[in-house]
Amino acid sequence: MPPDEEIPAEQSAAPEDGVDVTLIRWLLSLTPAERLDTLQQFVDSVLEARAASAQV
Amino acid sequence: MPLAPKSDFRAVLRVLKDHGVDFIVVGGVAAVLQGAPVSAFDLDVVHSRDEANIARLLAALEELEAWHRSHPERGLRPDASHLSSPGRQLLMTHYGPLDLLGAIGRSRDYQDLLAHCTEMPVGGGLVVRVLSLEALITVKQETGADKDLATLPILQRTLAEKRRS
Repeated sequence: MPPDEEIPAEQSAAPEDGVDVTLIRWLLSLTPAERLDTLQQFVDSVLEARAASAQV
Repeated sequence: MPLAPKSDFRAVLRVLKDHGVDFIVVGGVAAVLQGAPVSAFDLDVVHSRDEANIARLLAALEELEAWHRSHPERGLRPDASHLSSPGRQLLMTHYGPLDLLGAIGRSRDYQDLLAHCTEMPVGGGLVVRVLSLEALITVKQETGADKDLATLPILQRTLAEKRRS
């Protein structure tokens, strides 16, 4: 994106209230089962990273 | 007592359902199921403290090999007296952490919360009762703990987005 092109406020990565509405809209576009899968993948990746760092 | 080998929310839910346990998913998993971008490492459920349900829950916990994770050295298993209380039982299972809550917010128990639930398909043919986003917000406001208040803006924005769409 050209540096002089402004990002619309709604698309900003740093919303004023700290809540990223783009993430909310993305999750709402998924089914409940897909949302659960997304959370599970997040938890699994954190636990795997923790286990890997413990072995170092 | 060994640590849980992995986390599997759906597997815990399936065991509870297979044993006919009456429960409501609350907390972070309930929030995510309704589109809120929060994280959760444990599964929070409010269970019916009806005597027959506690018997079913104990059978499910036996299959899950649940133990109180606050005292790992003792390997203490949950019993009926624990599950009959309105308090919070912090358990570890072989599918990850499971928190059983007798009541939440201003002493709201399973019966109180039933009217504020929705049935949600969570994959694999599994349908579970989940506390609504509106009720989750109310309960977190009532609880007033720092970690609950921290997620309130996210839940409120998610609810607003759901109402817009």
